[in-house]
Amino acid sequence: MKDAYLGLDTGSISTKGVVIDADGTIVARSYLWTEGNPTEAAQRVVRELEQALDHTVYQVRAVGTTGSARRLVGAMLGAVVVKNEITAHAVGTTRLHPDVRTILEIGGQDSKIICVDGGIAVDYAMNTLCAAGTGSFLSSQAHRLGLEVEQFGEIALSSEHPANIAARCTVFAESDLVHKIQMGYAREDIVAGLCKAVAANYLNNVGKGKRIVAPVVFQGGVSKNAGVVRAFEDALGIPVLVDADGHLMGAYGAALLAADSPVIPKRPFSFDVGSFEFKTREVECAKCANHCEVICVYQDGTIIDSWGNRCEKGAVKVSSR
Amino acid sequence: MVDYAQVSMKLEKLRPPKLVGKRPARGSRDDRHAQTKVAFFRYGYYDIAFKYFVEQVLDAEFVTLPPATRRTLELGSRHSNDFVCAPFKHILGDYLEALELGADVLVQFTGPCRLGYYGEVQESILRDLGYDFRMLNFAVVGGKPATEYIKLCKRTVNPRVSLKRGVGELVTTFRLIECLDSYHDAYLAHAGFAVDPEEPRRLQRAFYRTMRAATCRADVEAAFAAGLDALESMPARKPVDPVRVGIVGEYFTAVDPHSNLGVEEKLLGMGVEVARMLNITNRNLRYHEKNLRASASRYLRYDMGPTSTLTIAAAKKYAEEGFDGIIHLKSSGCTPEIDCMPVLQRISRDYGIPVLYLSFDSQTSDTGLDTRLEAFYDMISLRKAAPTASQLATKGTSR
Repeated sequence: MKDAYLGLDTGSISTKGVVIDADGTIVARSYLWTEGNPTEAAQRVVRELEQALDHTVYQVRAVGTTGSARRLVGAMLGAVVVKNEITAHAVGTTRLHPDVRTILEIGGQDSKIICVDGGIAVDYAMNTLCAAGTGSFLSSQAHRLGLEVEQFGEIALSSEHPANIAARCTVFAESDLVHKIQMGYAREDIVAGLCKAVAANYLNNVGKGKRIVAPVVFQGGVSKNAGVVRAFEDALGIPVLVDADGHLMGAYGAALLAADSPVIPKRPFSFDVGSFEFKTREVECAKCANHCEVICVYQDGTIIDSWGNRCEKGAVKVSSR
Repeated sequence: MVDYAQVSMKLEKLRPPKLVGKRPARGSRDDRHAQTKVAFFRYGYYDIAFKYFVEQVLDAEFVTLPPATRRTLELGSRHSNDFVCAPFKHILGDYLEALELGADVLVQFTGPCRLGYYGEVQESILRDLGYDFRMLNFAVVGGKPATEYIKLCKRTVNPRVSLKRGVGELVTTFRLIECLDSYHDAYLAHAGFAVDPEEPRRLQRAFYRTMRAATCRADVEAAFAAGLDALESMPARKPVDPVRVGIVGEYFTAVDPHSNLGVEEKLLGMGVEVARMLNITNRNLRYHEKNLRASASRYLRYDMGPTSTLTIAAAKKYAEEGFDGIIHLKSSGCTPEIDCMPVLQRISRDYGIPVLYLSFDSQTSDTGLDTRLEAFYDMISLRKAAPTASQLATKGTSR
């Protein structure tokens, strides 16, 4: 029996899961849409991983979670590591690409840049207020054009004269796009223009002031879009690497962190969480004027975790598992 | 006839009947006016200094505000323009709560940015809402001689302000602010390493309690000495070379924990030594813009705004002292601090020190903030454990 570690990255749009062995090789992977329900998506990913994993060889020792629903999913799975997506991505990518200097990442609702030096993250930035130039912007525009976002890359690559689309802000980009459609621009030029706008927006906002040095690795759901990859290469003038497992890097990093964690649960991870019923309830604490929204997580009716309170007054007693 | 004439003569001699009773004796001149209730806005721990100023200098009653809550900001945001900087919303919320508590006078500072207009705009918003109060708005006498300040205080708060006593107590107020700031510097340096994680806050609360009770210079000095002593003798496990983070940024947001969702406490909770040069002592009491600018002359040629020189000079100082990271805090849309960001990016490149930029508006959820701070901490602590070749090559970090 070999030790294995599970990493789960629950983002706003998609949920990613991997199982790695002790050497850091991915032995099972899963990638699904979150569809606005992180607990269910995580359960589906766990079930998929269970089917893909050879249980006669591997036994999952510990779990790590990341992504915007990391806390919730971490409570569900009894994770030993609950880590932010920036660290998870940096850890995952530097393991697979030890020489990487710049990590570009564009996900469903956020985007980040991580500068790496000698295998260690030395600087990072993350988009703040605006979702312009992220995956959800591309999918809403695909919808407007009557296309699937998966087709974007191929269509964009067939364009020779990408349209200029204002990249500063989603609202401007959208009205500019409508205008260009009505003017009669070719569809591939508009799609290529959108890809260019995403890259330009990213470099002007998230990448502002950061030195982008080769080798550059591009990750996140949007990295699957060949049009955006080409737009980045054109804008930066250096090759941009996209890994086949690039979208799984957060989950991979979380699994690596779980493997390195000094806390290893006594019992191995059992895949039966897929069959439990998880519910969350939002309670408004009325003990002071702050009215903290306390989130309580229940597993089959028993409360297993809670958070959101700013002081001890709002602490909820949690039964230990 | 003769008798009658005599009687009338007598009547004329009598005093006319009294219509009012005897006037009571005049009291002393000090009792002639009801004490005015004066309220400041909330601003970190400076309520202690504001209280001292109101009670000892202005000789009026201080309206103590309870800690700010979510409602404070909701009130402030509701009556503010959406695009105004976040401090305006916080302060307006404070004023509304102060008026509910019966304040007669609201105090507002002046400043070289939008802050200079805060008082006037807030006053007219509150008047439009139907509140009756007086505004001690220092912006109307900004840049004028001290006599104008005194006249304004007399007119708005207390006509019986004693000049002689007031000047002496004002000096004590300044000393009080210096004590509060240097205590906080020590707190930021030590609190992250206490053996009992609850103890620093307990000591801090006790220190603030005694400071708040101070009524003279001797009280202030005694409370400060005792507070600092207790903090420094607190059992702590501080590593020889801890992770150190310097905070720079905008005057209100970088200082006020309620505005920045408690960034400092979050960092202390991670076991970080924190430093923040920006405070009233360094920005107002001992501020010498030209000298400060000269210390960062490579990056600054002219005064760029209210806290710009301090932000950039402090960032350069932290970089030179080998800090592991810098955090820049500002309210969303603060133009002077946005202007500082390209300069901070240059300092970051020149010294190889990462800078985290954080903007705050009226959000109350700190999930996104936690993600960014946690990632920043992971990054700088990992980096510290294994310094890279190019990091060692930069002069700023060689120790």
